[in-house]
Amino acid sequence: MSTPAVSCLREALRRSFVTLEKQRSVWRSVLAECSPLMDSLGNLAEQMSALSRVQLSDTPLRVFPELRERLRFKLLQAADSVLENMSCKMTGLQAVRDAISNQVSAILQLYEQNSDALDLLAVTERSATVPSVADMLEWLQDAERFYRQQFLQRKALLQTLRLDDLPLLESAPRRWKSLESPSSDQRIRDTLCKLSFFMESQ
Amino acid sequence: MEGGPADAAANRKSSALTGSARKLKDNAADWHNLMLRWDKLNEEGFNVAANIVNTRRSQRDLWTPDESPPSDELQAECSKLQDVVHKMVAVVTKMEHLMELQRGVQELEEFQFGPEGRTVPLFHSWTTKDFEENCGVLMVDFRQELRLKLVILEELAHAVNSDLSMVYLSCWLHQPFIRTQTRLRLEALLLETGHRPV
Repeated sequence: MSTPAVSCLREALRRSFVTLEKQRSVWRSVLAECSPLMDSLGNLAEQMSALSRVQLSDTPLRVFPELRERLRFKLLQAADSVLENMSCKMTGLQAVRDAISNQVSAILQLYEQNSDALDLLAVTERSATVPSVADMLEWLQDAERFYRQQFLQRKALLQTLRLDDLPLLESAPRRWKSLESPSSDQRIRDTLCKLSFFMESQ
Repeated sequence: MEGGPADAAANRKSSALTGSARKLKDNAADWHNLMLRWDKLNEEGFNVAANIVNTRRSQRDLWTPDESPPSDELQAECSKLQDVVHKMVAVVTKMEHLMELQRGVQELEEFQFGPEGRTVPLFHSWTTKDFEENCGVLMVDFRQELRLKLVILEELAHAVNSDLSMVYLSCWLHQPFIRTQTRLRLEALLLETGHRPV
């Protein structure tokens, strides 16, 4: 039979997973908005390197004075605005990470406060619809780690970008995409699936 | 852009304007509409130009480019681009016409009030000369940009390498000769003439 400490912890876990599910969909939608932005950043970088490779004086464009500077200025301006947009998106991702991290640290605190009342049997006890407290804590921490790392990796990628380092800028969309970790995301999805009965129970 | 001049004009008392003020205000609205039209054409033209570059690229992959006659597809896209550029020429011609009207207003005022022109501003603060100067700056940008478009139209399908094609495309899209300040100047013009609320 579950003690008050266990049911209290279970209820908190249930709420955490509900939050996780919600935040996961926010994360995915923000991330979906990022890829076209990253693509256009790569595209602008390609345009800038094409411009730097072409000797305008050998082309019909030679009649336009300052064309190179002006076009470069426009391209930089466009890239700047994409980066600004990206930093807004990063704020969105950061909010998701923070929401999940806060949930998890609150639940760990709750666990520690009640740890005296929770013996090995209590934390490993499970039923067909309710996984054990130990398992759920682990899954939650795994998910939290995933979002924390994802956010850091993506943030680091953006912070290393420089508008005058074209090769780096050109490869940015590819590197951004390579940070995707479908297996980890799948694992979180599976966990949420496994927990669907538990999450719906009140 | 919310609240275009058309609906702004409808609910303003200044619809009773006459003479030079009426003319200047109408001119400002025309500038706004012509620039919107230009932007639309630019977008339309960019899609066509991108098609031309892609068609050329896929042809180059298939056989040597210079010996084969241009395909019907390429020809069709090129005449589409020509259409767009012709419409752009028409837009700039209308802009030139607006400049002439502007100059007319200026000359009329010189005739009415002497070489210094009108002493009390027609709207908020601009003199008639300010209007002319402002529109003159817009004109310079669009004239130069149109020259660039004409060169791109001529050369796009003959670009010798993909870098140059890319430069043509990015010139078309980013319009290097239309400075960022130009958009601000238009806004200033709309503010001054009361098309936008101050």
